[in-house]
Amino acid sequence: MGPAAPPGPWPPRSAYLHIPFCHRRCFYCDFAVVPLGDKADGASSGSIARYLEQLLAEIAAAPEGPPLSTVYVGGGTPSMLTPAQLGQLLAALRARFGLAPGAELSLEMDPASFDQVRLAGYLAAGVTRVSLGGQSFDDAVLERLGRRHRRADLLQAAAWLAAAQRRGDLASWSLDLIQGLPGQDLAAWDAQLAQAIAQGPPHLSVYDLIVEPGTVFERLERRGQLDLPDADLAADLMEHTGRRLAAAGYGHYEISNYAWPGHASRHNRVYWSGAGWWGFGLGATSAPWGERLARPRTREAYGAWLEQQRGAEGVAGATGPGAAAAAGEAAGEALAGMPFDERVLVGLRRREGVRLERLAAAAGLGAAELASLLERWRPYRERGLLRAEGGRWRLSDPEGLALSNAVLRELLEWWEERDGRDRPGD
Amino acid sequence: MTDVPVSRIRNFCIIAHIDHGKSTLADRLLQDTGTVAARDMQEQFLDNMELERERGITIKLQAARMEYKAADGEIYILNLIDTPGHVDFSYEVSRSLQACEGALLVVDASQGVEAQTLANVYLAIENNLEIIPVLNKIDLPGADPERIGEEIEAIIGLDTSNAIACSAKTGLGVPDILQAVVDRVPPPPDKVAEPLKALIFDSYYDPYRGVIVYFRVISGSISKKDKILLMASKKTYELDEVGVMAPDQRQVESLHAGEVGYLAASIKAVADARVGDTITLLANPADEPLPGYTEAKPMVFCGLFPTDADQYPDLREALDKLQLSDAALKYEPETSSAMGFGFRCGFLGLLHMEIVQERLEREYDLDLIVTAPSVIYQVNLLDGSTMMVDNPATLPDPQKRESIEEPYVKLEIYTPNTYNGTLMELCQERRGEFIDMKYITTDRVTLHYEMPLAEVVTDFFDQMKSRTKGYASMEYSLIGYRKNDLVRLDVLINAEKADPLTTIVHRDKAYGVGKGLVEKLKELIPRQQFKIPIQASIGSRVIASESISAMRKDVLAKCYGGDISRKKKLLQKQAKGKKRMKAMGKVDVPQEAFMAVLKLNQ
Repeated sequence: MGPAAPPGPWPPRSAYLHIPFCHRRCFYCDFAVVPLGDKADGASSGSIARYLEQLLAEIAAAPEGPPLSTVYVGGGTPSMLTPAQLGQLLAALRARFGLAPGAELSLEMDPASFDQVRLAGYLAAGVTRVSLGGQSFDDAVLERLGRRHRRADLLQAAAWLAAAQRRGDLASWSLDLIQGLPGQDLAAWDAQLAQAIAQGPPHLSVYDLIVEPGTVFERLERRGQLDLPDADLAADLMEHTGRRLAAAGYGHYEISNYAWPGHASRHNRVYWSGAGWWGFGLGATSAPWGERLARPRTREAYGAWLEQQRGAEGVAGATGPGAAAAAGEAAGEALAGMPFDERVLVGLRRREGVRLERLAAAAGLGAAELASLLERWRPYRERGLLRAEGGRWRLSDPEGLALSNAVLRELLEWWEERDGRDRPGD
Repeated sequence: MTDVPVSRIRNFCIIAHIDHGKSTLADRLLQDTGTVAARDMQEQFLDNMELERERGITIKLQAARMEYKAADGEIYILNLIDTPGHVDFSYEVSRSLQACEGALLVVDASQGVEAQTLANVYLAIENNLEIIPVLNKIDLPGADPERIGEEIEAIIGLDTSNAIACSAKTGLGVPDILQAVVDRVPPPPDKVAEPLKALIFDSYYDPYRGVIVYFRVISGSISKKDKILLMASKKTYELDEVGVMAPDQRQVESLHAGEVGYLAASIKAVADARVGDTITLLANPADEPLPGYTEAKPMVFCGLFPTDADQYPDLREALDKLQLSDAALKYEPETSSAMGFGFRCGFLGLLHMEIVQERLEREYDLDLIVTAPSVIYQVNLLDGSTMMVDNPATLPDPQKRESIEEPYVKLEIYTPNTYNGTLMELCQERRGEFIDMKYITTDRVTLHYEMPLAEVVTDFFDQMKSRTKGYASMEYSLIGYRKNDLVRLDVLINAEKADPLTTIVHRDKAYGVGKGLVEKLKELIPRQQFKIPIQASIGSRVIASESISAMRKDVLAKCYGGDISRKKKLLQKQAKGKKRMKAMGKVDVPQEAFMAVLKLNQ
């Protein structure tokens, strides 16, 4: 390592747990999921019980670290777990790392996969935040997406969550919506946004539909049976989302995320800050020291990988400075091992952008190098898509964010060319 | 090995349509004569270029020497000379036919004769070859050897009463073919005592030994110690090697009249030992060369530009190297304000052009922009001079032109009669002049047209195939130049003239082509950060325009922990894709856009 090596890395204070089980696979989904059928539940499923044992073992084998300030249980459909099962997982994390005071414990839940009793159980187990996979309020659309729940299920689930939050039992909750769906026009989308706002979620995540390889949607698209909005309509939909949610009091704090003040997802902000995190479970990615490790995506391969890890020293992905770093201090903008290009890539997704000069200095980049990046960005800067304010570089909202890929491609190309120049001299 | 009497040599080739089983039969002959052991058999031994194998067609011909013990108990030398099966290479076909005394006419017993086969059979008849009809694939359920035999009789007038039915796939009938070659193909004339004349029928470039020349000794003999003279190129060489292809190259002391072999003489480029040239001895030269030598003339031209200007020297080097092994490839530097430095290249035809492009990209790892193919126009200027124009962008202004002439071909299409209508419509659209239509059998016809070559070298072949579900085949030959009312159609992208998209079209078609072209370009050029007008114009008059809206949304929606690696890879891939595009002014234009004029009908 050269003299200009970045400080840190700081030990991770966040953990992601992957629960791969679902009732069915939705038509657009390419995640690592294991569909178990509409009637399956954590209370009775042997598959879920066996998987939890593996997951608990993986957590127990992790190196030590400071108490966690955020935990995110995602999936799949984590609300297929019983509150007792979720409690076991949280207890394992508590035993291994401890939980910091005021820790954010998020759980992904699907409408129609839980009732009020189960929700109360999760809250009692310590869940502070729920992300509800609503996707749409339109039954015909839900049918086309291959979702199991219907509009009535969504309205009921949202009402329970809103009530829990009003009572003070739940710190915050979020609703997921998908925009740019087949057949969607501006009026239909506006109606969706209106209904979402009416449920009063403190946080909304709005994702573009992406047709991924291997999904039912991809097959339909190949056959010309997916009438996706054209490029102009898709842009209109996105701009409309920003305007509509801003008018309803939601701040646009990341490309796809909107929240009332104080309700941004702390866990997700960790990803965009460039800090490290633990990851556990099938298909989960961890990056405790900046270097990402993706676990195998099938149960068999994940099981084999765990066995192999048991033989080796500790759990892979936890390699790096190890226990020595456990005593490190977290401070300000985390400066773990994530390389400069990636830190800018994730950082520019945020409303506050990145402190480019500071990141560059930490990465050992000279002023001339930084100038060459800014030169590549000149067309975007001249159009006001990208600008510096108070030491932070940020993309304008909505135009800059909407065209962020172009800015990021320039960044990655610049970084690669720079890498190419560096290597022969090493 | 070379003391074989001339009377026990048989030289023959196989004439067949693509897919009718030529390569399989050739492989079978090599195997049945023990020339290649079954276990060493790579499928389709003779087609040894990777590209050929992928496309299932023969581009470069090869030869093989087989020893065969005939029914009379004697050992015969059978030389199989392979012929290319594509219209772009008819000159090479004619030279390899000249090296033979006989030909196996292989016809698929369910499909019948195709135009390309027909053209080659006529060439073989012209060369006085003994033709042995072979009906292949008789093991297939649809085979009807009787009907196909009648068809061959009706079309070509060959006696098919002793046609051999075979299945190259199963080996059925293959011994009969070998015996028939011995019995029916005449031995070469015994001219061993005369001065050496050997016909070059193929060559390729070997980086270690120089050009390897394949030849047939017509008269005299050639030995390793000889100094040779190539009568057309007037070059002389000392031989390094003389040998036969068995089928691997095996050196011998000498070869005499009737034999087929190869030589190596540190020849630097195939252009120095062209197909059709005559080899003779420097010490005792022949009076005159063998007839029929012509230099391959390029018929189709296009611009080749590196996507990345830094690759220009690499492209030059690659072309230099390719030309060592491809005498028909012509090129000269071309500079275009829109494209930068590149080359104007001439090819025998579209297939040849595609092959060269693919070899450059594959073997030399170059990213290329290939412009739409053009023919060579003769422009008569008002000052009485004429000039040849192979690049539409360099066509002089109308004020300086008296007239433009374009090359015409005689086109023969051979088709089941159910497709007459659609093919005549296609020929009409392509400015074809109908000459006649002949029924060859009750359900097959030949259509005879005269047509501008420019219309043929665009996607005519593909259109013909798709309109006839692949059943029609075609053949064409140049018949001269004709005056037509032609205009230059320019394309402007973002108000800048895009030279490589310039085409020469007939005035009556200019509006339709212009409109189609701008629409196609709108489809092929991706949205960019700004609005891009696209126009087609004749002179200063814009005849069609479209515009590509600015990109408004280019964003990755979801990016959490596990997504970061995937999203980064995706962006890097997109960036690479952008690099493969050509920057014209501020606009990034993808490779396929330069061929837009070929895609107007899709």
